[in-house]
Amino acid sequence: MLIILKKEIRAYFSTSFGFIFMGIFLLMSGIAFTTYNLLGRRSDIYGMLGIMRTLSITAFPVLTMRLLAEERHSGTDHLLLTSRLSVTDIVLGKYLAALFVLFVTLLANCVYVAILFLYAEPTLGAILGSYAGFFLLGASFTAICLFASALTENQVTSAITSFGMLFALVIIGSLANTVRLPVLRDIIRVLSVTSEFEELTRGIFRFGPLVYYLSFSIAFVFLTIKVVEKRRWSPNG
Amino acid sequence: MIQVKNLSKYYGEKIGVQDIDFTVARGEIMGLLGPNGSGKTTIMKIMAGHLPPSAGTVIVDGHDILTAPKEATGRIGFLPEAPPLYPEMKVAEYLHFCAAIKGVQRGRRNERVGQTMEMVSVASVRDRLIRNLSKGYKQRVGLAQAMISDPPILILDEPTVGLDPKQITEVRQLIARLGQERTVVLSSHMLAEVGMVCRRLVILNKGRIAAMDTTEKLASGIADTGRFLLTVKAAPEETGQVLASVGGIRSFRPLEAVPQANKGYCSFVIENDKNSEARENLSRALAGRGIPIIEMRSAGVTLEETFLQLTGGSSPESADS
Repeated sequence: MLIILKKEIRAYFSTSFGFIFMGIFLLMSGIAFTTYNLLGRRSDIYGMLGIMRTLSITAFPVLTMRLLAEERHSGTDHLLLTSRLSVTDIVLGKYLAALFVLFVTLLANCVYVAILFLYAEPTLGAILGSYAGFFLLGASFTAICLFASALTENQVTSAITSFGMLFALVIIGSLANTVRLPVLRDIIRVLSVTSEFEELTRGIFRFGPLVYYLSFSIAFVFLTIKVVEKRRWSPNG
Repeated sequence: MIQVKNLSKYYGEKIGVQDIDFTVARGEIMGLLGPNGSGKTTIMKIMAGHLPPSAGTVIVDGHDILTAPKEATGRIGFLPEAPPLYPEMKVAEYLHFCAAIKGVQRGRRNERVGQTMEMVSVASVRDRLIRNLSKGYKQRVGLAQAMISDPPILILDEPTVGLDPKQITEVRQLIARLGQERTVVLSSHMLAEVGMVCRRLVILNKGRIAAMDTTEKLASGIADTGRFLLTVKAAPEETGQVLASVGGIRSFRPLEAVPQANKGYCSFVIENDKNSEARENLSRALAGRGIPIIEMRSAGVTLEETFLQLTGGSSPESADS
């Protein structure tokens, strides 16, 4: 797994994908920080991350579109599949590499925190909690997009599918309040990946959201592994 | 070493390959030959574990590719038609990666990567990005990838495609050298290539085995006819009459482009029954008419003709061979 992790991290920065993701993310968070914190004169970070929660669905597809689709397109997937590595090693290696890039991007985001500390008195615990919450949300987004990348061999199709899935998950949250039927409302609430976010990023630590995001990520990584395994022995290769 | 058993592959309704059965012995270089779309690549992909068969199986060194895929594919180095390369990696970096995922021990990787690069002559481009390499170099890096873990079996799908004549010769020599200690299965649509490199051939046509034998036997022809060339000093019509009268001759046709036609010579290509005494009878008949024989020599059936016969006239791309 470490071999794939290392290879993918290197690939992120030897191709432009890592930089494009960081670029888009930092540009959008810059705009969000300027409007919410600087112009709105607020010292909390969760408002800014709340804006990013919706905006960043355009950035995550870039992070993962290449991961599995490109391997299939260039025929290198078989090189990996017939090697000593297990499918779990391959998929997990790629997933963790994407998370690493997300982590580095959030670290770069800390420049805003430094600005807040210079001009205001924010609570460090709340800020760390907000970022941890966003990282968990990002981990779920990445897992969904990784799954989309396993479905196709075309990077553009992979990106569009990822975007569509994320968009649906974000939209579904706002639908929840308009649905009258209690059962349906509950189901939609469970599926709405961003609804747990509020609590987590306000610095209120509960196990609920943590378990929610972890299980969401694990479920999609598991599905990705199954899709790749199934295709390995599918009739048309 | 490799047993291919009753292998069939269907793509929906379409037959990819059907009832393929052959074995490859240890240390043998075997060629798969066939026109485009005859199933060479399908068979090789199944052998390398890239594609599941619809029926039948492949046994590699006692390990079934379906029930023990890791053990079976671990013994195989495979070079697909399009080499599986990462364009963003440098050559040495890529080979290190391949060595790592194929289980070459950490301490031996440097040595192994160095050796392999020397073998396929890519050491001079070790620090260049694969993206920027020429097709010939990419092909060689692909070959290095197949050899990196020093597998006892190499499966090479059209290894010389896209190379220039000098590189083709080099790769052929390399394959011949590799074949001294390894089992090699090689596919090609170029007759000259398999004829030169392989000891045994499987000729495929429309997904089935059309013939399987040693290269020499296939080249000596499957038909029961022999063939020879005759040049005499006489008018073609007169010679034709003599040929028609001699027993054991099946057919003959005049050669149109005869260099010495102005000297009154004419030439014929003659098909005769094998084991008949057509040549002796013909000499006697010609001598009886007082026609001098300038030249009479056997013209063996070529591998290409055998191939055309077997594949029903669908020509291999021999123009570039």
